[in-house]
Amino acid sequence: MTIAVDAPIVTEQRTKAPVGRLLRAELRFMIRRPRTLVALAVLAVAPIIAAIAMSVATSTAANGNGGPAVQSIASLVAGNGLILPVFLLLLSLAMLLPMLGAMWSADALAGESQTGALRGLLLAPVGRVRLLAVKAFGVAVLSLIAVLIVTVVSVLAGLAILGGDGMLTMSGNVLLFGESLGRIALLAALVTVQVWAVAAVALAISAATEHPLVVLASTLGGIIVFTILGNIPALDWLHPVLLTDAWESLGDVIRDPMPTDGIVNAVLRAVCYLVIGYSIALARISTKDG
Amino acid sequence: MTTEEEAPAVSAAGAPARLAARTRNLRKVYGKTVAVDHVDLDVPVGAVLGMLGPNGSGKTTTIRMLLGLVLPTAGTVELLGHKMPEGAGWALPEVGALVEGPGFHPFLSGRENLLRVAAAEPRLASKDIPRAVGQALERVGLSAAAHRRYRGYSLGMKQRLGLASALLIPRRFVVLDEPTNGLDPAGTREVRAVIADLHAAGTTVLVSSHLLAEVEATCTHVAVLHQGAVVAQGELAELLEAGDSGLLVSTPDVSVAVDALRDNRIPAREAPSGVHVDLAATTAPDVVATLVRAGVAVHEVRRQRTGLEELFARLTESAAQSAAGLSEVDTFEEAR
Repeated sequence: MTIAVDAPIVTEQRTKAPVGRLLRAELRFMIRRPRTLVALAVLAVAPIIAAIAMSVATSTAANGNGGPAVQSIASLVAGNGLILPVFLLLLSLAMLLPMLGAMWSADALAGESQTGALRGLLLAPVGRVRLLAVKAFGVAVLSLIAVLIVTVVSVLAGLAILGGDGMLTMSGNVLLFGESLGRIALLAALVTVQVWAVAAVALAISAATEHPLVVLASTLGGIIVFTILGNIPALDWLHPVLLTDAWESLGDVIRDPMPTDGIVNAVLRAVCYLVIGYSIALARISTKDG
Repeated sequence: MTTEEEAPAVSAAGAPARLAARTRNLRKVYGKTVAVDHVDLDVPVGAVLGMLGPNGSGKTTTIRMLLGLVLPTAGTVELLGHKMPEGAGWALPEVGALVEGPGFHPFLSGRENLLRVAAAEPRLASKDIPRAVGQALERVGLSAAAHRRYRGYSLGMKQRLGLASALLIPRRFVVLDEPTNGLDPAGTREVRAVIADLHAAGTTVLVSSHLLAEVEATCTHVAVLHQGAVVAQGELAELLEAGDSGLLVSTPDVSVAVDALRDNRIPAREAPSGVHVDLAATTAPDVVATLVRAGVAVHEVRRQRTGLEELFARLTESAAQSAAGLSEVDTFEEAR
């Protein structure tokens, strides 16, 4: 059986595929990956489990049971559900979100290079600069989606399971519901930028190798080493260049009034890492063997 | 044996070129290993050029440089009249290629993999994508397996999918790197049929292979690579005739035949499979007439095909030597 050929297939005389089509195809492809779906599902379930665990701790404490740790958590979260997204965002920024960003970056270039699919894109042709832009876009959008899932699910879980209509700040006062949500949105944006910075560095490594595992291992290894260095007081001269060192200050969003120095510093550091990461990635991809 | 003086130069102004691809002094060095050196390859428009060479002779590296996948260390590449890699945007949309085996994602179906490739294809209008993918799958006989995951494909099916992505839209130039790898005899015949179709439609085809029979069956032109250099190129028929021409006579009366020919001043000697006759001073009909007059029983007289076969035998022999521990490039450098 043959398909009736009613019109010629080739109708366009251009040297590049439309960029919107490339971006859509890339996103569709990334989101369809089983590992992406699993990762996003875990991110969606984790806040619910955390909320239930805290709720159990609260009721345990209310019955006079549990040790001092349980008592202190309970006193903090009881009726203070909007603190949950703050906890979870800061907690997942420590390892889970950077790992996912690095994983998507690893798949974007090194993984595609390993399967040989990168060759297909280069032969289409997708120009190398464009290819990097498309890949960086895909990783950035997926990272944003990951942060949004953590944020939205933990806000809902916090309100539904732990309750409350405001946020108790570290300064002791309570923010109104609207302002609380604003602070959470701000934190989500800040966390996203930090994940983008990690992913940019991972993308640079990804452009230089064809083994996705190398990308993942070196990025996570880097974060661990940075965290250790950040905890050695004798190396305080080194701390301003460590990306991870600025992450502690993101917790400032639950102070009132909110100090901005640490937050601005964290954003600037992330921007530096973004610029450096993408520059190296660009240099590497333009000479990468396809 | 190189016939490149016949090849017309590609005009710098981009006027209709008679060469679909052309490389000059192409060289690629990986660290200390010279993968390709001084490759001057000409692919005439409309030709089916077979790139022959043992494994590791630089076929794939040359093709990757031709397509702008790898930057040459030195030398120039022109593809469809455009300088590569700068002209990739103009040249590559008209080039379909299957290089170093198919590269697809195991978790997507064959069709989804092709849709992804099609999205990146500049010439394809978005509305035509599903139709182009369907036709390409049909052409390589994968329609029935289109919705199965690539993970479950057999080697042959993977190869076919790679072929489908190379043939997604009509091309002016198709590059197939060892296209019959992993295919069963039926699949091999289908690939040959596809190449014949492309040739009939006026498409230029470059096929690389280490199989002599493969190239003889499908190609009009041949380029032989050995240890990173082109050792011969030209029309297949010419190369087959090249070298010392001789006749091979199979006969039960070998010594009688040799004597009879020598009596008539025709140079002849015993060969393993009969009598070898040198045609430098005589013609085939004379040889046959002489033998018949002498009453020699002749089973068969055939022209000895020396050019390609002998060349290729030499190549495979040195490839075997290098497999014994010598670096191919080192021996090549020493030999020069």
